[in-house]
Parts: sequence; C-alpha cells; structure tokens
Amino acid sequence: MTLTHPEDTVYGQVGDATVPLRFGDLSAEYKVLRERAVALDLSGHTLIEISGPAAVDFAQRVLARDVEYLTSERCMMSLVLDDDGRVVDQVLAFGREDGLLLESSVGAGARLLEHLRAVGDEGVEIADRSADLTVIGLEGPYAWGVVGRLIDGELASLPFEAVSDTVWNDVEIIFARTGFTGEYGYQMIVPVESAADLWLATLEHVTPAGQEALELAMLEVRQPIPRLETAGDVNVIEIGANWLVDVTKDEFVGKEAVLAAFESRQGRRTVGFSGGDTVPEPGARVLAGGEDIGEVVFAVRSVGLGTTLGLARVEAGLAAAGLELTVEGAGVTTLTSPYIVPKSWSIPII
Amino acid sequence: MALRPVVVTGLGVICAIGRNPEEFWHRLTAGQGGLTPIQDPAFEVFEARYAGQVPDEWVTGQLPEPDTALDRTAGLALIAARQAIAQAGLTGVDATRFGMILGKCQATPDAAGHYQPMHHTQDVIADRLGMRGPRILVSTACAAGGNAVGLAKDKIRAGEADAVLAGGVDPLLFGTYAGFAGLKALSTGPCRPYSHSDGLNLGEGAAFLLLEPLDLALARGAVPLAEVAGYGLSADAYHATAPDPTGRGGVSAMRRALADAGLTTDDVGYVSGHGTGTPANDAMEAKVMRAVFGPRAGQVPTSSIKSFVGHTLGAAGAVEAVAAVLALRDGIAPPTIGFDADAVPGDLDFVPNLARKLSTDTVVSNNYAFGGNNVSLVLTTPGPDREWAEPAPREVVITGLGPVSGLGAGIAETTEAVLARRHALGARPSLEGRTFAPRSLWRHMNNLSRMAIAAARLSWEDAGLKLPRKELDDVGLVFATGAGSAESTGGFDDSIAANPNKPAVLSFSNVVLNATGGAVCQTLGLRGPTTTICNGGASASIALTCAVEMIRDGKADVVLVVAADEHVGVVPQDVFVSPYDRDSGRVPGSAAVAFVVEAADHCAARGGSPYARMLGAGHVSGPFDGLTGLAGLTEPLDLVVGAATGGDDDAEEAASVLAALPGVPLTASAGLTGDCQAATGALNIVLAALAIRDGVAPALTGLATPVAGGLADYLSRPDLPEPARRALVLSSAPGSVRGAVLLGAI
Repeated sequence: MTLTHPEDTVYGQVGDATVPLRFGDLSAEYKVLRERAVALDLSGHTLIEISGPAAVDFAQRVLARDVEYLTSERCMMSLVLDDDGRVVDQVLAFGREDGLLLESSVGAGARLLEHLRAVGDEGVEIADRSADLTVIGLEGPYAWGVVGRLIDGELASLPFEAVSDTVWNDVEIIFARTGFTGEYGYQMIVPVESAADLWLATLEHVTPAGQEALELAMLEVRQPIPRLETAGDVNVIEIGANWLVDVTKDEFVGKEAVLAAFESRQGRRTVGFSGGDTVPEPGARVLAGGEDIGEVVFAVRSVGLGTTLGLARVEAGLAAAGLELTVEGAGVTTLTSPYIVPKSWSIPII
Repeated sequence: MALRPVVVTGLGVICAIGRNPEEFWHRLTAGQGGLTPIQDPAFEVFEARYAGQVPDEWVTGQLPEPDTALDRTAGLALIAARQAIAQAGLTGVDATRFGMILGKCQATPDAAGHYQPMHHTQDVIADRLGMRGPRILVSTACAAGGNAVGLAKDKIRAGEADAVLAGGVDPLLFGTYAGFAGLKALSTGPCRPYSHSDGLNLGEGAAFLLLEPLDLALARGAVPLAEVAGYGLSADAYHATAPDPTGRGGVSAMRRALADAGLTTDDVGYVSGHGTGTPANDAMEAKVMRAVFGPRAGQVPTSSIKSFVGHTLGAAGAVEAVAAVLALRDGIAPPTIGFDADAVPGDLDFVPNLARKLSTDTVVSNNYAFGGNNVSLVLTTPGPDREWAEPAPREVVITGLGPVSGLGAGIAETTEAVLARRHALGARPSLEGRTFAPRSLWRHMNNLSRMAIAAARLSWEDAGLKLPRKELDDVGLVFATGAGSAESTGGFDDSIAANPNKPAVLSFSNVVLNATGGAVCQTLGLRGPTTTICNGGASASIALTCAVEMIRDGKADVVLVVAADEHVGVVPQDVFVSPYDRDSGRVPGSAAVAFVVEAADHCAARGGSPYARMLGAGHVSGPFDGLTGLAGLTEPLDLVVGAATGGDDDAEEAASVLAALPGVPLTASAGLTGDCQAATGALNIVLAALAIRDGVAPALTGLATPVAGGLADYLSRPDLPEPARRALVLSSAPGSVRGAVLLGAI
C-alpha cells in the first residue's frame, strides 16, 4: 500500500496486494461512480518497465495484441498468455520512448513479473517499478471535469487510450485516458513520493471508491476481471476475451493454443445472467430445463440492477441472451452486455 | 531584422452572398445570409437541402465571350482572380515573376462531366492571365485556401515571385454532398455555428488575394490592404475526418502563426473561426480559443461567416481571409448569424447576429480540415515601408530514402534492383510480410495510404532518426500526389452511382487528396507543419522546395516528403518503355516514395549520414520553354535525371538538356517502374541522391533509338565510375509546371 486511508477502510488481500475493498458503504461508492466520479487507489496494480534494444520485439512476443507501433502517446489493453494459451494476466501496455511500461491487473504483479522473466530475451531489461511508481485512477461520467480542475482541461478530452506525459505540481506524471467501467476513465502514473499529495488533491474534488465498487461496475459492462474469470483450465475463447488477442500477428506466446481453440470450436462460453436473491458461489451449477449445462464463474449483488448479477460458463450453444436458467434453485435470465448502460455514453465532454 | 513584409493589395470573391468583394462585405456586415434550398431536383434524395449557391447569372454575367465555355470551377476562379488583379491595379508585371497558389479540395469535372487533373483549373486561369511564375496547387481539403495564402507569402519571401495570386475554389458537387450527408454532417436547415451545432451546409465559390512585397507595392503606388504577417500549419495526427478533440492541432497552428508574425496573443483583436456548425468542430474550436487566449478568450470576438456562405471547402480559407482583410480595413467584425438567441451564454464571444465595431490591428483566420490539417493566418494593418533582411541561409540535406515500388520496398531492395537492371513496369509494390502501422489502423487503410506509410517509415528508418515525442511535434510532412487514392475515389463514386444515400463513407474520407498525408502523420505521430501538393509529376519537387522553406524559416528541423500515386485497372502489357526512345510508349504505375529532408546542423548533431546536399531548386510554369528559368544549369554536373515518362513529351526535354548540358549523361526512372506521377518525381530525386552518395543510378538499358543526340549522351550503366558530385533532377507536369532540383555531394 502506498496511500494511507481512513481507519475504517476495509482492506482485503487480492493476489499479492492488499487493497481497499471499500472506504465506507459499497452501495454509496458505486452510485457515485455511476453518477458522478470517484478516485481509485490502484496501487495494487504493479508497474513493470520493459526496456533495452530488444524491448519492443520482446513485448510483441509476450503480449497477445499488436504493440509494434505503440507510441509514447498511446496505451492499450492486452492479455499475456502462457504457451498453453492460459491467461497469465491482463495488462495495460503504455508505449514509452525507450520501451514499454506494463501495468498488471490488481494483485497479479508478482505472477506477471515471474512470467516475463521466464520468457525474457537477451537485450531486454525487465524492471519492477512498483517501488517508485504507483497508479491513481478516476472513473465516472464527470471524471473529465475532475481532470480539468485537478490538472488541465485539455487532457480531459484526450481520445480513449491516449497518453500524455504531463506535469502536476512540478511532478512529472504519465496521464492516460483509460476506463474500466464504461464511464470516462483516467489514470495517473505518479512517483511514489508524490502519490499521497496527488491522492489528497484528488480527494478535494471527488470521493474514493474501493475495489468492490470498481469490480461491480466492471462486471456491468463486461470488462474482464482476470482474477475472477481466468481461474482453472479455460482458454481465451471460453473467457470471452478474444478482443484482447490479435491472431493476425505473426507470433506471440500462446498463439498456437489460441488458434487451436478457435479452430476446435469446442468448449464453453461465458454469458452474463441476473436474477435471484442470493449470490451463488463460483462453481455453482447452472441448469437448463433441469439439465446441467455449466457453472457460475462468479456473481455479486448488483446495486444498479437490484438483483444478483454474474457470469456463467455454459455450453457454447446456450451462451445466448434471453434464456431462462436455474442457479441454486433460483430462476435467472441470461443477458446481453452491457448489463447497465453507463451514463457517460450520453454525456459529452465540454 | 524582420523579413520582407508581404501585403495584400487586391481582393476577389464570388460566393453565395456576393459576386464581388463589395457586395460580399455589404451583406456580411448587414447580416444577410445566403443559404438557400438547392433547386436542382437531383438533390431531392437528401433530407438536408440547404447550401450556399452562386446564382448562375453571377457567373455568366462576369465572364466575357471567350470564357463562357469554361467549366463552372474555372469560371468562378477566373472571376475572382480578375477582381483581385483589378483592385491591385497590377499591370506590366514580369510574367515569370507572377505566380499562383490555388487551394482546391475536390477533383472537379470539365464541362462534359469528366474529372480533370487537380491542377487543370489553375492552369486554365494562370495561362489566361499570363502567369509563368511559381504555380502550386495545394489540396489540404478545407484548409487549402488559407494554406495557399501562407505559401504565397513564402514564395515571395524566398524571392521566387514579385506577385502571387493566392486563393481557393470549389464548386458544389453532388458526390461531395452525398458524402457529407452520409457522414451525417449536414444540417437540415441553414447552419448555426457555435450555438446550435447540428451540422454544416456546403457552399461554392472562389476567392483570391493578390500578395506582393510591401516595398514593391508601395513603389508602384498600390494601396496595401493588410499585411500577411504570419501563418502556421499543423497536423492533428489523430483521425481521418474528426478533429482532435483536445484542440491541440488548432492550438499549435495558431501559436505557430503568431510566432511567425512575431506577435503575441494579446495583439489579436478578432478571430475568423472555421465555424462549420458540426458539433465536433465547434466544440474543438471553443477549446482552441480557451487554450490559446486563456483568461482573455471571452474578450476576443470570434465569428463564423460559414453561417452566411456555407462551407466552400477548398475556397473557404480564402473566402474567410478576404473577409478578415475587410474586417481589419473597416474595423468591423462580421457576425455569426442564425445564432440561437436562447443559447446558454457561454464564456466566448461569437459576435451573435449583429456586426460589431472592432479596434485592432491584428486578426487571425483559422481553418481545420479532413486529414487533420490545420492552418492559421495572421493579418495585420499594413505598416510603413521599412528595412528588411533576407532569410538567413541554412544548409539542408537529404538524410533518408524510402522508395516503395514494383522494384522493392526500401532503398536496399531498390538499389539491388537498379544494379541488377530489373524492371517492374506498372507493377504494384508488394507489402506482404510486414505491416507498417498498428494493425488496427492498417487493416482499414487503402492501398495508397499503406504504400505511403511504408515509404515514410522506411525513409525514417534509413535516416536513422530516433526522436523523442516532443521533437515529433515539430516534424513536418509535405505530401505530394497527382490524383490521390484512385481506389477510394472509384469506390466512392461507384457507391454514389448505386445509391446516393448509401455512400461508402470510409472511401469518402479518403477522397480528399491530403488524406494519405494525414494517415502518415497519424501513424508516425508527426504534428509539425504539413501540406499537400497536387501538381502531377512536378508535385514532389515542389514539395521539396516547401520542405526546404519550412526548415530555412526555422519552422522545422526535419520534414518528410512523401509522394504517392496509383493506377487501378489493367496495366497495358507488351508495351516497350524506355524513356527518350523514339519507339517508347508509356505505362502507368503505382508507387510511393519518401525522403527525409533535414537541417544539416540537426543531422550533424545526431550523427546522421546524409546522402546529398540541397544546392538549389526552382520551378517555371506555362507552355514548355526549354530549360529557361530553371535552377542549377550553370553548375558543373555529373548526372541529369530527367522527368521523361516514355511518352511524347520526352523529346523536347531531351533536346533541351543535350543542348544546354552537353556531355552530362541523361537518364530517367520511369522505364523501371512505369509513370507513377508524383512518385516518379520523388523517385528521381531519391535516385539522384543515391547516385551522389553510393554511385548507383538508373540506367537506360533498353535505349536503342534516342529521340535526341546519340546513345553516348545517355546513362547506360547503373554503377557509376564514381559517385556523382552534382546531379540535376528535372520534374514536369506537362503543360503546367516544370522544375529542377540540384543536389550535391556532402
């Protein structure tokens, strides 16, 4: 943990990180995220620098999407796979002038670092920067207004996945337009020694939200949450993360396995569902007409929908919206995403 | 000491609200708009019907008998051009010192409806007006008119002309209307920029400004109307049609223009906005105003005369520059009409509905275009005659070569092909095996953009350039093309023919000639000064002179020149092509060729190794007149790379060269690749640079019966006995412009 939070903050262990799950009331944090804007402590995301003469070639090999021409003013989300096509992590890759900066998903830094070092090439330096850099996020339909008040209004209207090296309070930061929840989203990569100041300055404009509110809002727009969706023997297609892989690339770690999965057309598919009053555990069986067709990946209580919302992994032919299924005795309905329409989609940045 | 002041001494305009500057200005200041429903029944298929149209009688009524057969585009341009010359009272000027820079967005049809070369309108007007000086067709879409005024100032400052007619023209075309309708960019009523931004109206028209050096204007008793104090160009490097929402492209254009003028934002008293009325444009412009003027933004009135005349595309920047000159002269800001009285009062002053008195000596006129091209012009109250200095000399070198043709991709493959005497007549370049841009962009790109981006990247890599982001913001790009993307133009036209309400919008965004240059900027992240030149086979040599001027004027240290043209359809087979041979035919080809132009001091500081030094360049226009007026003819030369394409124009070039430069071997490259228009012009420059550094040049291996002289007058071996010390490169758009570029060893 880099930032300090109020005493009644509820923390939790997520992978290798201890993160604030909620600062107060989940429901209230969620509503502010969907209605206005929140600050996010993303210090559980590890920053890993890839540099050296072969940095781009290496990144092109370990990332499943095309980063050959990722300039220092762009970032993109990509999966990192192992040889068997299993998800190692889902990263945000920032182009840098002398290589790339990878931001792990929450709590997955150690695993990612270990994988990168295992497949590392000559001419590549892989450095864990989490001791000197951390990440603060902003998310919400009016997050752009916060950017204007906090740093510079010009940055607010950056295109999605654009990056700008900028200065806040005489400190050099990397500013990016990102977004996990379908709302306007921004990230600020800041030196650790200035992170507390930036966090406090941010809190002059918005309240914070914890990991629970963030992940709920991510689920509602079907933003993959790797720690909850990639456990077990599942491939990219079963997870539904095809968009984080580019099979037109010549080569990347895991490509053959992904292609094989594409060609086999076998396996299960992931679909959202809602309904019921209880929250089923991961692995709970999903039934259609009494027949077992799959299992629950994970589920939560959705503040926005007022019911249970989750993902199920079921036989491919049944991964469609509008089906009436049963989970632990409760009737549920499969959904098409997004399950909640983000307010940002109807609010222009002015 | 300041550089030579350049002034406007004559104005001409014809558009929806006036057949001449007086009528135009009267209606602007009286708030009388000219947007009306289109009566042509062909347009009834569209929901949006308003446009800024020029009544036919305004055109026919101002064209004397010999000009009545001209197509509408030429008619509009000729009317405005004559007005500007008449107001300036310009007579007896040396034809070779009288130039024209014309902005034009669309390829326009002749009277029979067939597309003409981009520069055709310009040739018709310039030839009728007896102009034989610099002739440039600039096609930066909706920024072209303003861009033309800036380039004209450069040509005068560079000493290439004593008078330049700068302006723009575009007619209202059905296809373009369908394209904008397809993009959902048209307002169904008269457009209402800045208050009710629901879309634009297209318009038509032409406008010219006559530019002269202040000293010459005063010497002949002319009355300066305004000084063209500065201009700025920039590239968004963001998107094919949408403006960068942060407004940073518009901001840097305005800042560069003010820096060029030696002024600050505090000097500016009025801004003529681009003001199309689309939500994306209007929102972006507001950001530009706030970013540039800061807390003063609300005190600087800004208005859009497109609310009167619609968007006249390539003419818009010139029409608006005319209005800006008149605003400065009379101290009146024209209003934005149709301004919603109920609009929530914002922080900016859009001069709603009523003209306003101004008290300022400095106005700015802004234009933003498809392809992410931005231009800002700074106009000031004319000052007195004063001392001025020539621009400081700055050595310029060519540091990277990126030819992409049927011969190969990159200078290594091309060198090998030239040495092996390989031919690839009309063959399309193969780009298999490598993408030169992020795949997400690459897969949506047309062939011309792919070729151009490959060429640009290969030249960049060849130059060994590795620049940090901050420096890329100032790297310039000059794109040269004869006809742009034939693939996209054809695809768009076919879609319109099939159903005007279902245009191929992706193709439409690539129909503008500067689209490919914009794609290069977007891919390489270049945001420096950028423009697009469309003068057929002479485009690349003109582009090179523009690049040199950008560097010499301190606007950039590195400028990429990228030339690209393509042939779609069948390539004639079994045609013998050997430039300068009596039996040679001509075969069209496809290629993109880029080269890096760099300040010698910048190259030295980074340890680069240049191919060649720029020793000089010049262009003449009008009917062929031997090599008269071209640069470099008095220097001792080792090689001449001619503009020959294998066609009928080769003979007079060969005869002229052999007469003027006896004993210097002559060669050309079109026998290797076919005639790739602008790209062939660039390939000749690239191969001359290669001959200088590496001693390799394209040989005329098939030449048997020369059109002039004997075989010994032509280059017969690709491996030169020693690298050339000086090489002259000729370029030609037959019947229009010819140029010469002189390169020398380092």
